[in-house]
Amino acid sequence: MVTSRHTGINLLRYVGLGLILVVMSYPLLWMFRVSIMDVAGSVAGSGWLAGGFTLGNYIDLITQAGLGRNLFNSALVGLSVTLGNIVFCFMTGYSLARFRMLSNKLLFVTVIVVLMIPAHIIIIPLYVLMMKAGLYDSYWALILPFLVNPIGIFLVKQYVETIPPSMEEAARIDGASDLRILFTIVMPLCRPALAVLAIQVFFTNWNSFLFPFILTSSDDLRTLPVALAMMQGHQAIDWPHLMAGSAIAVLPVLVVFIILQRQIVSGITAGAVKQ
Amino acid sequence: MFRICLLALLALIVTGSNVAAKTTIEWWQFWTDPSVKPTIRAIVDDFEKANPDIKVKLTDLTWANGHEKIVIALASGAGPDVLELGSDWIAQFAATGHLRDLSEHLSLDSNQFHGYGMAAYEGRLYAKPWILGTRVMFANRDLLTRAGYDPEFAPATLDQFKKAAFKITALDNEIYGWGSNAAEKHRLYKKYLPFFWSQGAQIFTDDKRYCVLSSDKAIKALQLYKELHDSCGYVGNQRGIEDAFLDGKIGFIISGDWLLKRIELEQRDINLVSTLFPGLRFPGRSFQGGEFLAVNAASDQAEAAMKLIDFITSPEAQVRFCKANRSANPSSKQAQQDDYFQTNLHLQTFIKQMSMVKHPPVDPDWVYIENAIEEAVEEALFGSGLPAEALRQARQKIAALKQK
Amino acid sequence: MRLSRSSSLILSLPWLVTFILFWLFPLLYSLIMGFSDYRLLATDFDWIGWDNYRELAADDNFLSALKNTFVFVLGTIPVTTVIALALALLVSRSFRGRGLFRAGFFLPSVTSMVVIALIFTNLYQRGGYIAILAGFAGLSPPEHGFLFDRATALYSIMAMDVWMSVGYYMLIFLAGLKAIPDELYEAAELNGAGWWRRFWSITLPLLRPVALFIIVINSIKSFQVFVEIFVMTKGKFDTATAVYFIYEQGLQTQFRFGYASAAAYLLFVIIAMFSIVQFVLLRRRRALW
Repeated sequence: MVTSRHTGINLLRYVGLGLILVVMSYPLLWMFRVSIMDVAGSVAGSGWLAGGFTLGNYIDLITQAGLGRNLFNSALVGLSVTLGNIVFCFMTGYSLARFRMLSNKLLFVTVIVVLMIPAHIIIIPLYVLMMKAGLYDSYWALILPFLVNPIGIFLVKQYVETIPPSMEEAARIDGASDLRILFTIVMPLCRPALAVLAIQVFFTNWNSFLFPFILTSSDDLRTLPVALAMMQGHQAIDWPHLMAGSAIAVLPVLVVFIILQRQIVSGITAGAVKQ
Repeated sequence: MFRICLLALLALIVTGSNVAAKTTIEWWQFWTDPSVKPTIRAIVDDFEKANPDIKVKLTDLTWANGHEKIVIALASGAGPDVLELGSDWIAQFAATGHLRDLSEHLSLDSNQFHGYGMAAYEGRLYAKPWILGTRVMFANRDLLTRAGYDPEFAPATLDQFKKAAFKITALDNEIYGWGSNAAEKHRLYKKYLPFFWSQGAQIFTDDKRYCVLSSDKAIKALQLYKELHDSCGYVGNQRGIEDAFLDGKIGFIISGDWLLKRIELEQRDINLVSTLFPGLRFPGRSFQGGEFLAVNAASDQAEAAMKLIDFITSPEAQVRFCKANRSANPSSKQAQQDDYFQTNLHLQTFIKQMSMVKHPPVDPDWVYIENAIEEAVEEALFGSGLPAEALRQARQKIAALKQK
Repeated sequence: MRLSRSSSLILSLPWLVTFILFWLFPLLYSLIMGFSDYRLLATDFDWIGWDNYRELAADDNFLSALKNTFVFVLGTIPVTTVIALALALLVSRSFRGRGLFRAGFFLPSVTSMVVIALIFTNLYQRGGYIAILAGFAGLSPPEHGFLFDRATALYSIMAMDVWMSVGYYMLIFLAGLKAIPDELYEAAELNGAGWWRRFWSITLPLLRPVALFIIVINSIKSFQVFVEIFVMTKGKFDTATAVYFIYEQGLQTQFRFGYASAAAYLLFVIIAMFSIVQFVLLRRRRALW
């Protein structure tokens, strides 16, 4: 009796979750469906079965449209920026959390200000700056300004504040150096927060359009979102190819998500809760 | 580390000396989609072959954000040597001194090209017409037949058109006479202005001193536009309207040559009629715009830039481009004589329409004026629903701007 | 004794250098230009003091953009937070296929905006799925579709935004849930507390810091909502938001960079005040709930 009731509840749960899953993943499923259609037809009104099946769109993109290069650029920029953020946001966030002196409070204000001014205003002077510095139209323009980002600093700061400083002090009495303590003791403790940071930075960067579009112009430097935007014609859009490109763009993020998911779930805010 | 720096420096010097031997010019252009880009690339390659001393750096812009990039670059004193510009932007860049005055060079062959009216600001020419565009009226022949029209019918006057749209709407609940654009930026005004001009209305008086946007004729045009919208309109964005039209749900739409490209690429089966935009008495006045090529005032390679522009706008290159993009309106008069245009019925409609068009005033504040007009149409269709009042307010806005 | 002050500064150096090199000049430049009538492309300009700010205070377009922004922020944030929490609760316990559901819920956050815009434009159009659902619920959908009606367009975009962002915030909630020690629940269960009671007196209070972190970040983002508006309606049908207004003024119609900068800083002050209130709540030790 108890077990059958249990199975009943279980079934209900799966049906409910399944429904939500369909609602949440519908666009993505549709994207994959259109990406394997073999007509350039209007996909808007067509059903799931119309349009045929082919893998040709993917092959076209990799062989003809040079999407490989764009993937490489996005990966290079995305990984550099993510790596930079893990190290630098950690350093800055830690420092802001542990030292409540005036200069650090001011520093925190700068972090928040950058978060709150819209990109469309910033980008014009930033463009001038990049031209003057000779960084325009280079990888550096896409990497350097973003190596450390405000949300990441904020996240790490909040997290570190919840870790008791006793372990650091013990290590110091044992004669460990500052840097050693920082990277061998504190950093591993922050792993969940850094995992969230990594996934957030990676996918923000991966989808970033405005800055790469404005700050570079060479074909060689084009990132994936810019390349996808370029695939859209003035009035006519080749949906199957565009959707195949979008699908290719989603896959790496999905992989990163699956790899880092466990890290995140093992407790991003484990400490924050104890605040 | 030091060795790497040294190597990099060396590489820089080597490439630097290479560049010195050749002139490099940069061209920013918008034709990025895979069906057209290879043709652009090929034309540029041919240019480089014909001019071994010039190298072209081709940079792509998107339709959605390209204008911003141009504005930001020009405002910073940077930007490429050659720019592709939409006709609406020429005045704003010319008025602020960011485009080179090309009058001397262009006046030599100006009678061989259409569209110079859109490139002339205060008596000087700032850009060369490349690929022009207009809108014609498309109708679904099957629906016209079902509504009782004979197979030769195409509306010549606005009255005939309106009557046919009403008849088609009456056929079925799911059938609409007219595809009406929702408040769509940079699109809605292109739909209203043909009605406006065909009624004989004007935005400014001939001496450009007064805004007469709310004249009786303009109000009449907006009333007709609203009547069609309210009674027969399938309302959607341009893409949605085209989809519904190609699915056979709409009798009439206004569209550009890209519709023909869609029909071809998507292998659509539709019994299509293309016809000139109707007027009070045949014919009316449609909308004209287009893509132009201009030289950045900050460029020190003007001569090479002009060579590139002349090459791209040459009749041969234009025909080549139009074939790839299925464009109907090359600016070159010679290009229009090509068999490609002469043998296609629908392309012929576009070419004929080109001699019955108007273009928006060449005004540095055009985007503001355009916005005011669109807001008036939007207000009449979706807001208060009072055409006269909406146009009056738009006129006041534009007049206030001009007084400053 | 922990780190010395000077090593603290050294640790902050990456940010300090990045800020000074890349952000300080743009921020100051736009702040200062907010007091000028500078237009992009123009060759000269005048200093006009607070005129831009005065004009903004009387600009109907700006005020309605602000109103829309507030509707957006106040409408989406509670809904996003509650749904994200509910989803997190649904997939936090261990069961077969949990990973699939998590990944599925997270998907919208990483899908390209182009794809999302196309699909939602279709969903919202006349005769689309949403209109059909509304019909079932006995509501009459707008004649031309949800995006082409002043009464529904903004709310439709807000709904899309909620759908897009719940997965991401669900993830953060999940992490927060994991951090709550199981012993607390076991002890409560021994004391005979039911599911609802445990949720109310353990889960919610302990999730408070996470929830507020989510709310702060989501508010800052939502106050600057732009891309959704840009791809869906271009600000038409009463959907223009503050950043859309700034974009239009600065980069579209008249290139009034000075005016747009002033609007950006005004918006900054509003966001900052909003955030300060939230920071105060974040710091409070007493349970909110």
